[in-house]
Amino acid sequence: MILSYLQIAWRNIVKNKLYSSINIVGLATGIATCLIIMLFVNQELGYDRYNEKADRIVRVTFQGNVQGEKMNESTVMPPVAQTLKADFPEVEAATRIRDYGKPNLIYKDKSFKEDAFAFVDSNFFRVFTLPLIAGNSKTALVEPNTIVITKAFAKKYFGNDDPMGKIINFQDGNFSPFKVTGLIDRVPVNSHFQFEVFASMSGLPEAAKPSWTSSNFYTYLVLPVGYDYKRLETKLSKVVEKYIGPQMQQALGMTMAQFKAGGNRLGLVLQPLTAIHLHADFANDLSPSGDIRYIYIFCAIAIFMLLIACINFINLSTAGASKRAREVGIRKVLGSSKTELVWQFLTESTLITAIALLMAIGFVYLAIPFFNQLASQNLTLNFTENLFLVPGLFLFMLTIGILAGAYPAFFLSSFKPVAVLKGKLTSGNQSVGIRSSLVVFQFLISIILIFSTTVVFNQLSYIQHKKLGYDKEQVIILPAYLLGKNSEIFRQQLQNDPRVSNVSRSGFLPAGPSNNNNFFVSPGNNSTQLIKTLRYDVDENYIPVLGIKILSGRNFFTDFSSDSSGVIINETAARAFGWKNNATGKTLTTSLNKGEKKTYTILGVVKDFHFKSLHERISPLVMVLAPDPGMLIVKLKPGDTGEFLTSLKTKWTKLTAEEPLSYSFLDDRYYRTYESEQKAGQILGIFSGLTIFVACLGLFGLATFTAEQRKKEIGIRKVLGASIAGIVNLISIDFLKLVLVAFIIASPLAWYIMNQWLENFAYRMVISWWLFAWSAAVAMLIALITVSFQAIKAALANPVKSLRTE
Amino acid sequence: MLLQLNKIFKWVNVGGSRTFLLRDINLTVQQGEFISIMGPSGSGKSTLLHIIGMLDDADEGEYVFADQNVFKLKEKQRSQLYKQHIGFVFQAYHLIDELTVYENIETPLIYQDMKGSERKAVVADILDRFGIVGKKDLFPSQLSGGQQQLVGIARALASNPKVILADEPTGNLNSKQGEEIMELFKKLNKEDGVTIIQVTHSEKNASYGSRTIHLLDGRVDQIVNS
Repeated sequence: MILSYLQIAWRNIVKNKLYSSINIVGLATGIATCLIIMLFVNQELGYDRYNEKADRIVRVTFQGNVQGEKMNESTVMPPVAQTLKADFPEVEAATRIRDYGKPNLIYKDKSFKEDAFAFVDSNFFRVFTLPLIAGNSKTALVEPNTIVITKAFAKKYFGNDDPMGKIINFQDGNFSPFKVTGLIDRVPVNSHFQFEVFASMSGLPEAAKPSWTSSNFYTYLVLPVGYDYKRLETKLSKVVEKYIGPQMQQALGMTMAQFKAGGNRLGLVLQPLTAIHLHADFANDLSPSGDIRYIYIFCAIAIFMLLIACINFINLSTAGASKRAREVGIRKVLGSSKTELVWQFLTESTLITAIALLMAIGFVYLAIPFFNQLASQNLTLNFTENLFLVPGLFLFMLTIGILAGAYPAFFLSSFKPVAVLKGKLTSGNQSVGIRSSLVVFQFLISIILIFSTTVVFNQLSYIQHKKLGYDKEQVIILPAYLLGKNSEIFRQQLQNDPRVSNVSRSGFLPAGPSNNNNFFVSPGNNSTQLIKTLRYDVDENYIPVLGIKILSGRNFFTDFSSDSSGVIINETAARAFGWKNNATGKTLTTSLNKGEKKTYTILGVVKDFHFKSLHERISPLVMVLAPDPGMLIVKLKPGDTGEFLTSLKTKWTKLTAEEPLSYSFLDDRYYRTYESEQKAGQILGIFSGLTIFVACLGLFGLATFTAEQRKKEIGIRKVLGASIAGIVNLISIDFLKLVLVAFIIASPLAWYIMNQWLENFAYRMVISWWLFAWSAAVAMLIALITVSFQAIKAALANPVKSLRTE
Repeated sequence: MLLQLNKIFKWVNVGGSRTFLLRDINLTVQQGEFISIMGPSGSGKSTLLHIIGMLDDADEGEYVFADQNVFKLKEKQRSQLYKQHIGFVFQAYHLIDELTVYENIETPLIYQDMKGSERKAVVADILDRFGIVGKKDLFPSQLSGGQQQLVGIARALASNPKVILADEPTGNLNSKQGEEIMELFKKLNKEDGVTIIQVTHSEKNASYGSRTIHLLDGRVDQIVNS
């Protein structure tokens, strides 16, 4: 029987080519989108799951709230691991990672800059599941100056030689040579840390320091099976009191109790390993993190895409019911039960879904490289590696087949044979209400997506055109520290270059990665009013190079030796200290180690400038005169940048043989800060386009039906003298009404959703009425074009012909 | 006795007043009879045929088919009874356009859960009897009206029913084709003992039957035995 169902289903698909194509292409688009999103979500949710102890590992983080400023550090102090292991029996193991930046490593004549070098504790490979291909995971990193490396690293340095026992040197001579004692395949892509070299922590003096004031260590704990990490977390406040308290008193000059009385909070917070990737909201995390909100948004889009495609199927099937009604009637007369007919129609919808699924798999193969590039992912659709995909997709196909086919199946199979065979059926009209609601739903989603995309791009444009309080154009950032002793010569050369307007020496950059320093100061001599600010170490050229405006007072003078105890603050800082326009000449006090104090005099106040991303409010800032020749900020005069860069390269290579020149433009750094939003905007744009495409396919199909059904009416109207415009209007207006209803429902929803999104920005655009108008206009226009194609065709048809066929 | 109708009434309510489609119909049909139902348009012929064919319910009265009270049967039992014993032939043939001649004839057998091999034998036999073996792979649209009706009758006979209900079977055919179809009915009735109940407008066609029932305004006006 199933064979005969399939046969008739196939013949129906072939017979109604237009409607079948609409259904198949729509479903295929929906399924392909859904598949890609599922692969993406699967990868994101699967982060760090490769660890056998994934559910038992937590990371210790440092969070707090100091003077209204949130602190979110993913690293903690060096003794935390050892202390927690010693003080709490439930901590089965504790291990640390110390990210060591980008050292230059040398092996014989080969030298590379490594950007994935970390010191780890010797038990690291027993906590994380990274099997050693060579070497012993228990002893590999016990000795100082030993390293475990990846295959790729070994290949790069040693070629095909056995890497075990080889000696690697540090270029800058901070460390004695390292011996390779272990080899791993690679760190899985879905790991929140990505290192090529793991060095023994026992060679790192910093790791053994009992300091509770500096935190550079990513610290992980293994807890017992089934143990709720929250239970341990509640006990951690004691650790803060016991260990951090005394040292903080020394550093800040206030006790923990005083600190808390000021409304401040500090604490160690645990974070499950599997939550790190998607819920990380930390400064200095080990890898760019995902965002659980985008997971939700994408999942919603996937579901809506599928629903919209299914709705097309439902609408076209019920609208075309009269075509199938006769068959239903005959089959019932020939003895078919309703159940058998329901099965027949479900077979048909599943067959269509199956064809769509095959097409979708093709789409996915074509689209994945594009998506990977857009979303910086490395997804693959690999059936041989993921055998579960085959039954998974089969189940998926059945689900969609039923989702799309269920309503039409029950609707069609419920026809009474007598009514059908007598030709009394005015079918197609019975389900108009449902069809209209479904079309409204489709356009509701489309309009929300159009609106969201528009808002995202408007916010991006707002970011691009925002007056930042500093000038980001024609500014080049140069990491002069790579030149070592020659950096000062390099700076002199630049300063004397006629194309350069000015050079500043500071690693504190208003956009992109930057140095960062918290600075606790009290206005005047009042040590009870401790205010957290940021301290920027700058030179006298910093303010002119960045074009920051001085509101009152003056810039630093190098000739004035007294300026080393002078500071320049921003407006927000002046307000935070309780000063209005009279800040200049006032003093700030800060505690140094061992209870000593240092007093600074305010030299000037600058207008607020955005030294953090627009996600964050401008915070109090204190600039001190402490030139750092390691980083150069170069302001160019207007002119040929390309030519300047060429000469820059010549200068650079004269000063260093090993280090390649690396530079970045300040405006690029600024735009890159919003890369994730830009990508989200692009992806959203593509998905909205696809959703609208599928929705319009359905609308096109429905318009075709309407034109067919009203053929006779249109013929009569034309004979009676209706104009073509009148006829087009007649058919289009009903559909436009639906789009209008969708718009009215969509507006508040879209506004709410995008307002939530904009909340992430401290500085944001205003959602104005014209954005709604724009979305409505786009949706209307697209719907109108879709519908009017059929409407015009119907209107132009010769009435004699259409009336004769009746 | 094959079937019996007792005091059958059927009506529709139009705007508060009741219009009777059938009024007090009493009819007994014996196995092997050939009955014609005649009457002007709107006299209730088709409605009566649909009730006999269990496609429609009466509002009042009793219907006994093969010793079972049809109106009191559950949907499933009624469908079972109907599938086994009743074959329908329509004026507009009502073949399924998407199925070939062979598949059209096969369809009722599928719904009777007949096994594939058995089905093949039955369909082959029917095709042979009707001399349409050569057309078995054609679609309805490739056949003439007379040929389509031939397939329609073949399909109705496939499940070996006790009674064939024919609703103006020759209404869409020319006189020569119509005559052939009527001769076929006569032969089926005489040689195979199939009970036939037909609705017709034509006196000539009615004369093929052994009994003609004349309906007028939903009532039995006259019964003529020939």
